[in-house]
Amino acid sequence: MKTVLNEQNRRNFVAQVESMLHDKLSKCYQCGKCSAGCPVNFEMDYTPNQIIKMTELGMEDTVLNSKTIWLCVSCNTCSTRCPKGFEVTGIMDVLREIAERKGITSKTEKEVQMFHEVFLENVKSHGRIFELELVGKYKLKTKHLFRDMFLAPKMLEKGKLKMHGETISNLNQIAKIFKDFE
Amino acid sequence: MKLAYYPGCSLKGTSFEYEVSLLKILEIMGIEVKEIPDWNCCGASAAHSINHNLAVALPARNLAIAEKDGFESILAPCAACSNRLKNADYELKRDDILKKKITNSLEMSYDSEMSINNMLEFLIGVVGKDKIKSMVKKPLAGLKVASYYGCLLVRPPKVMQFDDPENPVTMDELVSLTGAEPVDYSYKTECCGAINSLSKPDVVMALTGKVLYDAKNHGADVVVVACPLCHSNLDVRQKEIERKYEEKIGLPVLFITELLGLSFGINPKDLAIDGHMVAADRVLKKIEELSK
Repeated sequence: MKTVLNEQNRRNFVAQVESMLHDKLSKCYQCGKCSAGCPVNFEMDYTPNQIIKMTELGMEDTVLNSKTIWLCVSCNTCSTRCPKGFEVTGIMDVLREIAERKGITSKTEKEVQMFHEVFLENVKSHGRIFELELVGKYKLKTKHLFRDMFLAPKMLEKGKLKMHGETISNLNQIAKIFKDFE
Repeated sequence: MKLAYYPGCSLKGTSFEYEVSLLKILEIMGIEVKEIPDWNCCGASAAHSINHNLAVALPARNLAIAEKDGFESILAPCAACSNRLKNADYELKRDDILKKKITNSLEMSYDSEMSINNMLEFLIGVVGKDKIKSMVKKPLAGLKVASYYGCLLVRPPKVMQFDDPENPVTMDELVSLTGAEPVDYSYKTECCGAINSLSKPDVVMALTGKVLYDAKNHGADVVVVACPLCHSNLDVRQKEIERKYEEKIGLPVLFITELLGLSFGINPKDLAIDGHMVAADRVLKKIEELSK
């Protein structure tokens, strides 16, 4: 693992994260409470407290390419329990957003990342989610065409899968939101 | 007071049972809500996961429309929607620069005076326990009910400002009002895996399985929820979880609005209880037997 880092790069990265986070990385004293209570810790490559420390050390490539940032389900258990009130869940959002802006595709968790992307495309197209189209496009993109398909017949029978989506009237306003903030 | 209703996308699709049942019980209680005109998706977990500004701007449009239409209070029954609306409201209050950018983009103003309520908050705070209790025509005495809160209703507490984040009791109180018995179990605020249902199904089944098996082992006849994502994971994935862990669960999952509706004596069909993947027949039968 590369541990000797350029100090200026480290400072820049920490400053970027902290300004997006509205919080200070130095608040964390590595007690590990966040990692102990994390419901998805068993799948992660780095625990949440390790991610915080590595961010503070400027290990940008490692954190932005970690499985952890995409496995976090934003349940907020960590932030709720943090004795220092640090935005642990928030840092995952910030790191995902930086990875996304840099065009980094997760090697191991690209499906999670793709789901978010396809979801937002769906919002952009209709202003609302059209579930069937969302699932279809996600499956095409990930090539997991048959996974979960066994659920479809019963969901159809129960009326859970709507064949038509709703599109809002003022779609221009949604387009503008995406233009201004995407 | 004019009450706005923000259904969100799930209630118009996979979780239509939630909308049918909540509108039915509100109608019977004589409470009128009006859908926010031309509402848009709140961005759910996807927006905040990869684009913070979008995660504030998308819900902000709904808040601004509600304000412009003279509403002071919003009912957002989907836990994810109410969470995102509250988060947006919180960010707009603390970040003046972002607020200015967003209101400029929307060409609408927003004063941040909106009261945003999840389903439980609305039932307890706006409708009131006395009113609900007075509606119970068919007490569910003897029925054991596990309330599952999940994450989004109570966390993060500084933004949600609702109930206790580790040991919430609001839903259990509503269960008690119906005459049913709340079940004490360990997983009521553990995450179900939420948005990763499609992208990480194995992880979601591991998490959801813990909730279901623990509720069952503590004697629950039924689980109640107030979130469409929780409902999908607990109900739609249940058969698969049984296969994966080779142990039967057979636990129907109802929305809290359906349980209340049953205690009000409303026909299960009018509450769309037949829309669930795990059939609730056994629970309905037990209710009939108990009421004899």
